[in-house]
Amino acid sequence: MNSATNSLRGEQIALSFGGIKVLKGLDVEFRPGEITGLIGPNGAGKTSLFNCLTGAYIPQQGTITYAGHSLDGLSPAARAGKGIVRSFQHVALCPDLTVNENVMMGVARNYSAGWLNAFLPLPRGRKEREEMKRAAEAALTDLGLPDVGDKMPGELPPGMQRLVEIARAVVGKPSVLLLDEPAAGLNNSETRDLMKVLRKLTSTDLVMVVVEHDMDLVMSICDRIYVLNFGEIVALGAPEEVRTNPEVVRIYLGSDDDE
Amino acid sequence: MMQRLRGLGATAAPIWVLTAVLLVLPFTLGGSWTFMLGLCFANSIGVLAVSMLVRYGGEVSIGHTFFTALGAYSVGILDTRYGISLWASVPLALFMGVVFGILFAWPSRNMHGIYLAVTTLALALAVPEIINNLDALTGGYEGLYVATPFVPGIEMELQRYYVALALLLAATFAVARLRLSRQGMAMLLAKTHPAAADAFGARRVWARVAVMGISGGIGAVCGAALAFSGSTVSPGGFTFWQAIFLLVGSVVSFYGLSMPRVLIGGAFVTLVPQLLSASGAWIPVFYGLALLGMILLGHYMPRIQKALAREK
Repeated sequence: MNSATNSLRGEQIALSFGGIKVLKGLDVEFRPGEITGLIGPNGAGKTSLFNCLTGAYIPQQGTITYAGHSLDGLSPAARAGKGIVRSFQHVALCPDLTVNENVMMGVARNYSAGWLNAFLPLPRGRKEREEMKRAAEAALTDLGLPDVGDKMPGELPPGMQRLVEIARAVVGKPSVLLLDEPAAGLNNSETRDLMKVLRKLTSTDLVMVVVEHDMDLVMSICDRIYVLNFGEIVALGAPEEVRTNPEVVRIYLGSDDDE
Repeated sequence: MMQRLRGLGATAAPIWVLTAVLLVLPFTLGGSWTFMLGLCFANSIGVLAVSMLVRYGGEVSIGHTFFTALGAYSVGILDTRYGISLWASVPLALFMGVVFGILFAWPSRNMHGIYLAVTTLALALAVPEIINNLDALTGGYEGLYVATPFVPGIEMELQRYYVALALLLAATFAVARLRLSRQGMAMLLAKTHPAAADAFGARRVWARVAVMGISGGIGAVCGAALAFSGSTVSPGGFTFWQAIFLLVGSVVSFYGLSMPRVLIGGAFVTLVPQLLSASGAWIPVFYGLALLGMILLGHYMPRIQKALAREK
């Protein structure tokens, strides 16, 4: 396991909308080389935490650092430039672009051909598109979707669309990968393929965080799991510890006292 | 997939055929038709500018005469005041269009839908007043006459036709290329999923400013073509109604960006009023009916095509 110096950390993160406290001073650390799970009931604050990490929301309190450098004040695009990418809870593919082109957008930030290349068939722009296309095809093939590149996203079933979105997130070789419910809408065999891909993606440099409701997936691929409830961390540990944690069991199954 | 791409990009064969036909047309048509077609090509570029904004930015403009006026007066002023031909004035028009597109986009970057449309309306309403107030430069109501040939020695009537056609071809080609580029794809993503575009490094504000800059640039090229092909530049050509007609042309062509599609829009803007000119007071009524007919035809076309395919 890599040292924790390249971790993504959040300290005392607090976020509220109006009077509603969504995140109540969370301390989190996501380490490279690990897959960290983020679970909890609906409304626990999982996606809000993702949005704070990616810069879509600005927390009222707390700091977020990656590899020791503060991310505070950086826009989502600037954070993407540092290799922090995410997938979305609701599939966010562009219906005007082909599947392949959607995936190409995941690697686009690594290229810089100028505007002349955008309007004229110049060698640099063509080479750039060709490279992006090849990278996208390779990512789609890795996710078990080798033949859908030329289709439009609307022509694919929802499960495949989600895999395409994951391909877009991983194609640019991110340093931090935040996956928001990657298995939602996938059937059993697609989920199994996804688990294989996520395991294959783990490397000593990659910070991977997965928000997911599919407990089988979370328990089998995650090294550590944070359990959130009402914007607070109620448990943290290895899957086995979390599974048997009485507080977690109470949140998920309810207790006699709740009735 | 091809069907979806067709509206944005272009398929090569019909465009080559159409281009070949348009290249020989002046030799078979009379002078007035050649003149009208030149204007039609110029207006088609304006339709392209408006459609580009809809397709890549998801926004509607009812103020594009601001940009066409900018282009037209760049050509008109350089020609009449300094005797400089299109070689310099078209690049200047393009530059001015892009710069003012960006200048307009920045303060309005967070406005969408009807709010942005109304803001563009302000641009359109301001144009004639600006032109009249700068009459020392613009010639006020009397306008300017563009007479410097693009290529000396060639009949001016033919030049007015072919320059507009060449600019139309260049503009549609550039926009078709844009669809394949990283920038074009980023704009389309930012239009449908701004948060996703942000998350992958293509900022939504960048996308909005870029789309408006490109659309403004194309609008100004439309103005340059109008000035040269129409030979005169006066405030009457850049009224609020002209801006509405460009939007009508864009709607009639179903926001298509390929040359055949924008030509449909340009023809509707230029030729339909001409064809109806004998109808006197009935012009607006027939124009409205023609517009309705086009919209209904476009709306039912997929169903008609399906029915025909089933019969086959």
